[in-house]
Amino acid sequence: MTEPIFKMDASGVDVEKIVLDIRESVSRKIEEGVYADARVARAERTNLATLRSEDEFLEFYLKCLRDTVFVDINDFEIQERRRGWAPLLVGIKKGLWKLLKFYTYRLWSQQNQINGLLVTAIEGTDRKYDVKIRALEERIRALEAGRDRQQGDGKSG
Amino acid sequence: MARAERIAFVCPRFAESGTVGGAETLLKNLADHAAAAGRSVTFLTTCAQSHFTWENTLPPGRRKVGRLDVEFFPVDENRDIEAFLRVQGAICNNGPLTEADERTWIANSVNSRALYEHLRAQGDQYDRLVMGPYLFGLTWFAAQIHPGKTLLVPCLHDEPFAYLKIMKTLFGQVAGFMFNSEPEQELARRLFDLPESRCRIVGMGMDSFEADPDVFPRRQGLAEPYIIYSGRREPLKGTPLLIDYMRTFRERTGRDVRMVFTGSGPIEPPLELEPYIRDVGFVSEQEKHEAMAGALAFVHPSINESFGIVLLESWLARTPALVHARSEVLRWQCRRSGGGLWFRHYPEFEEELIRLMEDEDLRRRLGASGRAYVEREYAWEAVEKRLLEALDTR
Repeated sequence: MTEPIFKMDASGVDVEKIVLDIRESVSRKIEEGVYADARVARAERTNLATLRSEDEFLEFYLKCLRDTVFVDINDFEIQERRRGWAPLLVGIKKGLWKLLKFYTYRLWSQQNQINGLLVTAIEGTDRKYDVKIRALEERIRALEAGRDRQQGDGKSG
Repeated sequence: MARAERIAFVCPRFAESGTVGGAETLLKNLADHAAAAGRSVTFLTTCAQSHFTWENTLPPGRRKVGRLDVEFFPVDENRDIEAFLRVQGAICNNGPLTEADERTWIANSVNSRALYEHLRAQGDQYDRLVMGPYLFGLTWFAAQIHPGKTLLVPCLHDEPFAYLKIMKTLFGQVAGFMFNSEPEQELARRLFDLPESRCRIVGMGMDSFEADPDVFPRRQGLAEPYIIYSGRREPLKGTPLLIDYMRTFRERTGRDVRMVFTGSGPIEPPLELEPYIRDVGFVSEQEKHEAMAGALAFVHPSINESFGIVLLESWLARTPALVHARSEVLRWQCRRSGGGLWFRHYPEFEEELIRLMEDEDLRRRLGASGRAYVEREYAWEAVEKRLLEALDTR
């Protein structure tokens, strides 16, 4: 037997177990709604491609998306990075924002309606495929069981 | 086993300063240690320093750098960058590609006819040619000149480029491979159906160091705990993900954890996060190690790694790591070392970072474990043994 090039850690820190414990704790918290937070959905925007294979997480992500789907058209604190003329620039920006808000309110309201409908459609599609996949899995299991039974009968006969 | 006396290393850039990537550093260090072991080593590279422009900024010709004879060749200036970028875009988006498209892409990647001419004319003077990383035209064409004595250091990731047909040609032709890790070797064997006899895992040696954890925070006036990231900042390295996670972490938990970045590239944080980020750019090795030693954790959000030099450095600084679980290599390093934890998504990241903040004993043990692992597995003595075995295997 050849000696392995790299040896496993023998220091007593079982990182595998720590990660598993953390995963369990996170799953529990997801169930409890601790992470059903629009900010979590936002944080995952660059991680989505790597989450394709995580079924449970995608379901959870859709819940977060439901929270974050609406465009925020509320007022916000207006800041200015440049030091000189800052109060004047902030005043101008506030004026511009009021005008923008007045003229775009109808547009964003409609956009919010569309976003809401889109998420509903995605959730509906997800549920539909989930049901179809489960039915197919059941059918495969039944077919495999039938084939095994037939093979068993053939051998005993 | 025939001893390879005269060895040429080939790499698109030469790691003379700290501004190059991990692959260049790896090739240079391996060359340096082969020379220290008494082999006659020449390093063949291009006059370019920037991997964005590939402009010939260094003078061509041969000069001595430390123990190495380094020969610089000009990059071909007649690249069709438009064609290169068009095909590269299609590769990255998994678009339909013909082999002719792939050949257009590699032909318009970084190439040096002068270097190829040197290998054709004087290749006989070398017993071994060691080259990498795999996805550059320079490596692809140079490897075809004397494939029977070429060893590839691919620095392979599970990325669209690895699935090109022309890469099957490259991996099928060369005499052997020096991989950085077991997951990298497994990926290559799976993709290219390589026999075990042609594969070796070598890695890179790391010089151990001592770093005072108080120096960097004191110098920077940082009283709050901070996480650190070192290296290139770009989407492929996952830095936008780290920024998004830390913004959410601060907002959701109300914990004042700062971020320190060393290295190059834009960070582009949202305005409200800027005051909590300390971007120190390129710093000396000593300062980088001190910054790592003072950190709560080293966070490596990249999924495209074949080795993880900075991860090993952070362990030498006794700092535990949090890595992206989708990086097979980084997860493999954490598992074997017992020096870090891995996360798949934000909730796991949040939970793990809080755990490290609240459990100082765990943090200390993870750091100690990581350091012991690097000192054991990546001491130059061990790596040099693996390197010389790979070089001498026919």
